[in-house]
Formats: sequence, structure tokens, C-alpha cells
Amino acid sequence: MILFKTIKFKLTLWYVVILVIILSAFSFFLYFTLADSLYKGVDNKIKTMAEIAASSANSSFGAGPSIADLDRIMTERFGVRPLGRFVQILDESGRVGDSSTNLRNVKIPISVQTLTAASKGKTTFETVQVMEKYPLRLVTMPITANERMVGIIQVGSSLEGVEEALHQLLLILLIAVPAALLVTSAGGLFLANKALRPVDEITQIARRIGSGDLSQRIRIKRVNDELGRLASTFNEMIAKLEESFRRVKRFTADASHELKTPLTILRGEVEVGLKKKRTLKEYQRILNSNLEETSRMSRIVEDLLTLSRADMGELAMEREEIELSPLAREVWEDLQILAREKGIQLKFMDDGFTKVEGDPLFLRQLILNLTENGLKYTPSGGEVELKVEGDRDQGVVRIFVSDTGVGIAKKDLKRVFDRFFRVDTARSRDTGGTGLGLSICQWVAHAHEGQIAVASKVGKGSTFTVTLPLKD
Amino acid sequence: MRILVVEDEKKVASFLKKGLEEEYYAVDCAYDGEEGLFMVEANDYDLMLLDIMLPKIDGLEVLKGVRDKGLTLPVLMLTAKDSVEDVIKGLDAGGDDYLTKPFAFAELLARVRALLRRKEREPAGELRVADLTLDPVTHTVSRGGQEVELTAKEYALLEYLMRHANRVVTRTMISEHVWDYHFDPMTNVIDVYVNHLRKKIDLNSSQGLIHTIRGVGYMLEDRE
Repeated sequence: MILFKTIKFKLTLWYVVILVIILSAFSFFLYFTLADSLYKGVDNKIKTMAEIAASSANSSFGAGPSIADLDRIMTERFGVRPLGRFVQILDESGRVGDSSTNLRNVKIPISVQTLTAASKGKTTFETVQVMEKYPLRLVTMPITANERMVGIIQVGSSLEGVEEALHQLLLILLIAVPAALLVTSAGGLFLANKALRPVDEITQIARRIGSGDLSQRIRIKRVNDELGRLASTFNEMIAKLEESFRRVKRFTADASHELKTPLTILRGEVEVGLKKKRTLKEYQRILNSNLEETSRMSRIVEDLLTLSRADMGELAMEREEIELSPLAREVWEDLQILAREKGIQLKFMDDGFTKVEGDPLFLRQLILNLTENGLKYTPSGGEVELKVEGDRDQGVVRIFVSDTGVGIAKKDLKRVFDRFFRVDTARSRDTGGTGLGLSICQWVAHAHEGQIAVASKVGKGSTFTVTLPLKD
Repeated sequence: MRILVVEDEKKVASFLKKGLEEEYYAVDCAYDGEEGLFMVEANDYDLMLLDIMLPKIDGLEVLKGVRDKGLTLPVLMLTAKDSVEDVIKGLDAGGDDYLTKPFAFAELLARVRALLRRKEREPAGELRVADLTLDPVTHTVSRGGQEVELTAKEYALLEYLMRHANRVVTRTMISEHVWDYHFDPMTNVIDVYVNHLRKKIDLNSSQGLIHTIRGVGYMLEDRE
């Protein structure tokens, strides 16, 4: 049964178990203390009567008063004649002398033990079964005169009242306690149910989310209780999940789109090429084009791999001290050919102390990507400047790459570091970009505890600034 | 049959043009949405191949523009996105069919044939007028059971005439559907090709099928 495993069942069960323990303890305590005090009350009363009887027996009126006298004395002392009490006076040998009228002809037996105890001057309490269904509480007290036992007085009281009361109490407890338990456990179950209903709701929503619908949210009715907080935490978590799923989805869609274009070209060109016999020149053209597409695909795959390994934290980043300005100068020298081909003036400047701690390969790629980008988006006759500058006061090294190129529109500025984001799809593909270069730059900068930023004006050009912590 | 290819990726457009031309279609290319929309309005195309991701004007917008102007030509969409929503959007905007990149070229050809057939409400299979048959899949033509060898243009011309059998076909119609953008209307090249075709089709047969309608054009008809 699933029910037995639910929290509400367990909660109710615990509640009931604890209640059973408390109620039983209470009932036991109540029953036994009441019984004790009732019995003691009876004992006290019969003892008092016995003492009075004994002392009056010792009075100057002579040995042993009559029961009638005793009745009178009792009435005087207690106001009313005590009902249900029996008095019996015995001589020192234990023979019954006189007894109260309500005993009629019944004799209360006296055991040898009690008699011996009385002869030694001791008072004995005992419970005996005499004539009725209720037992009799009996006190046996010696009557002494001049330090000598002259007789024995026995006062008995029926325990009818006491037993009856205790019986009644027991009955009440046996009925009321289970009834109370039944009611409270039903109430407990109801309360647990009510308190835990939002949990069921959360479970249902979670199940729906688990089946792929991340747009589901839990409706929160009470904001400030434990479950309200749980629900809102849960909602926040789902929102984050949804966002990252959306990003992953867009990323895979973009990646597949980027890879599909070269694939389409490869497949289409080969299929059309194979439809009939072609000239050697035609075959060469197709193969060259295929080679171009293949290398474009491998570039994309490589960049994707770099980024996904960076995401997984699998890329081992070297930590060594490097001077940035010679590194940048190398990049500048390597790119001179490309710049000359495009008819762009590529300038280099360095200033100050530019030592940083980091991975030379990745930092080189960062500078290369940014400078190459600058060259790509700058028309012939333009200018690209690479500048490395150490700032001791602020403890940073800055890399500036500025161009006089096409620039980036304001609405696109935020997104240029997004994976596969392109300001102009057609142009970017013509230049052979993968759409991942700036994302890699951003990752390298962040991995070196640095920042990357861009400022741009459409038609005037853009400036990318990388800030890295200076190593003294 | 004349086809407009709207595709920004130059290499894709180029192999599409080449492959389609080898199947005797007349093909023009446009490299962005704006150009595509302009060309589809300016010329009478039988079919449009439309990429969805286009610069300047998005492919879906081009499609809406085409339908808004009341053009009913069949449109085969090419898309790199294969999410269901994109397909639905494209079809609802007035697309007739779609292919996901990368596609098999043979499949593209089959879909193009199917769309053209549907446009003319023709059953699949061979075209037939009297004892002249033309198979659009294998590009074979035969007259009276005898196979006839045709050049690419002759074939395209015959296919057009057969698809419009028993109707008058003007020289303008022929130039718009059989030749591409580079056709020079000042030449008599159409008459030359019709004569070539006549020689191959009608010469060895008792019955002439290609008739000249003086001052208007031509008509392919079984007059017996």
C-alpha cells in the first residue's frame, strides 16, 4: 500500500502513538492515584472510628461500651450515623462480644495473624470478603487498659462506593480514551493532509516538468510559510533550468544550422557532379569547393569543441607569467600579410609593463581572433590598431583592438559575444567566420579573471577592450 | 519550365542552378529576399525554390509578399531549421512543400516535378499526345514507339508544348517558361527551335502534331 509510505500517514501514526502513550500514562496515573486516595480515605475513617470506639471503651463507664452507645457517639462526632460501617467488639481471646446492628448475625472472622498482631498492640488493616459481592475494609485495633489488651475493636467499611467509583472510572477511560484517539487521529490525518496538499501539487507540477514542459510553475498561495518558500525556490530553479535549456536548444539549433550549410553544399555539389560525366576542370572545381567546405566544418567543430570543453571545465589552463606585448607583436607580424592583401593598415603599439599570469596559447588566440575580426570587417583602405598597455595604478593590462570598419548596431552590441550570433549572416560567412570567435575570446578573458567589452559606431568602426589583471 | 532559386549561400544557389538546368529547366537565381521578391514579380516563373533564412527580407516575408500579390506559383521551401514550428509557419505562409538541408538532390527534383504536375493538375507518369510520349523523369521522348533524340532546349520546349497541349502557346509564353533571364527577345530563336523539333517529331510520321498559329504562336494538338 502506497498510503503507508506517505508522510501524512507516518505523521499521523507518530501523532497517534505519542497520544496513546500520553493518554495511557495519564489514565494509569489518574486511576491509581484516585484508587489510592479513596482507599486511604476509607482507612482513615475506619481508623478514626476505631480509635474513638477504643477510647470510649476505655472510659470510666466501664469495660466496653454498647454498640448503641457507640452509635450515639458516632452521631455526635460525625453528624450522621455512618452507614455501611460495621463495628464489632471482641474480647482479648478473639470471641465476638457485641456487634453493630447492621451486621445482623454475620460475624466478621478474625485471623490468627491479626489477633496476634492485636495482642502485641498493633493495628492491622485488611480487606476481607464477607457477605456481599463487595469486599470489606477492616481495621483491627486492640483496646488497652493499663498497658494491657482488654479487648479488640474491629471497624469495617464496605468498599462498595470505592470499587463502584473506580469501576466507573475504568469504564470511562476504556471508552473515552480510544474514542478520543480515534477522533484525534482522524483530525491528525486531516491536518497532515491539509498541510501537505501543496506538496502533492508540487509533485504533480514536477512530474509535468519532468515530462519536458519547463514552462510549468507552481501557483503559490501562501508566500511566507515553509511550503511557500519551497515552492518559490522550486519555481526559481525551474526558471533557471528553462533559461539554460532554452540557451542549449538555441545553441544546438544554431550549431546544426552552421554545420548544415556546408553539408548541403558538399552533398549537393557531389550529387549534381555525379549525375553525368564531367570535364577534369569541373571535377577539380567541385573537389576544391568541397575541400573549402570541409575545412570550414572542421573549424566550426574545433571551435565548438573548445567551447564545450571550456563549459565542462575540462580545458586545462596553463598558469605562467607572460609578457603580453611580445605576444601581441607576434600576432601583429603574422597578420601583416593578410592586412596587406586586403589593403588595410595594421598598426601595433605597446606601453608599459604588460606581464600577466595565464595561458600563452589561449591569450594568443584571444589577440588573434580580435585582430582578425577587425581585419575582416574593415574595408580596403581602412586601419586596424592593436595596442597593449600596462596600467600599474589600476593593476591591469589592457588590450585594445580598434578598427575603422563597418561597426555594430547598438541593438546587436550586447549579443556579439553570443555563440553563433552574426550581425550579417551573409557577409560573415563570406569571410569564413564560424560565429564562435568572440565567444571564445570572452571565455579566455573570463578564464583569466579579465573582462571583455566593445564600443562601436555604425560606419565608423569598433573597439574591443580586454582587461586582464597585471602580474607584478 | 522556369524556376526561380532564392538562396543567399552562393554555392548552394550555384549547384541548384546547374543541377536543375541539366534537367532541362530554365533557372534564375536571386541572392537575397529583396532581389527574390523583385524577380518573382517581374517574370512568370513556374516554381520558386525559397531559402527561409535570407538577408534583407526573410524567406517567410518573401512568401507572404508573393501571396499578397496574388501569385499562385508553387513554392518549395528550403530550410536548415527542421523544427516543426518553422515548417508550420512556412506552410501557413503559403509554401507548398519544404525540404530540410542537407537534402538529396534527387529528392529535390522529384518534389519539383510533383509540384509542377500538381500546378497543371496532371496525373503522374508520361505525357501523351496521339502516339507522342514524353517521360518527365527519364527525359525520354518517343513517337510511334520509336525513341527520338532531343537536345536540352528541344526537350524543354516539347515538354512545355505538351503540358499545354490543345492550347495556343504564344512566343512570349515560350520565352518566359523555357528560356531563362538571359533570353534575347529580338531573336527568332524560338522559331528555329520549333522547326528543329518539328523535323524530329513530325517528319517521319503521317500526322503533324505541331501547328503554327499565324501571328500568335504554336499549338500541339492531335487533329485526327
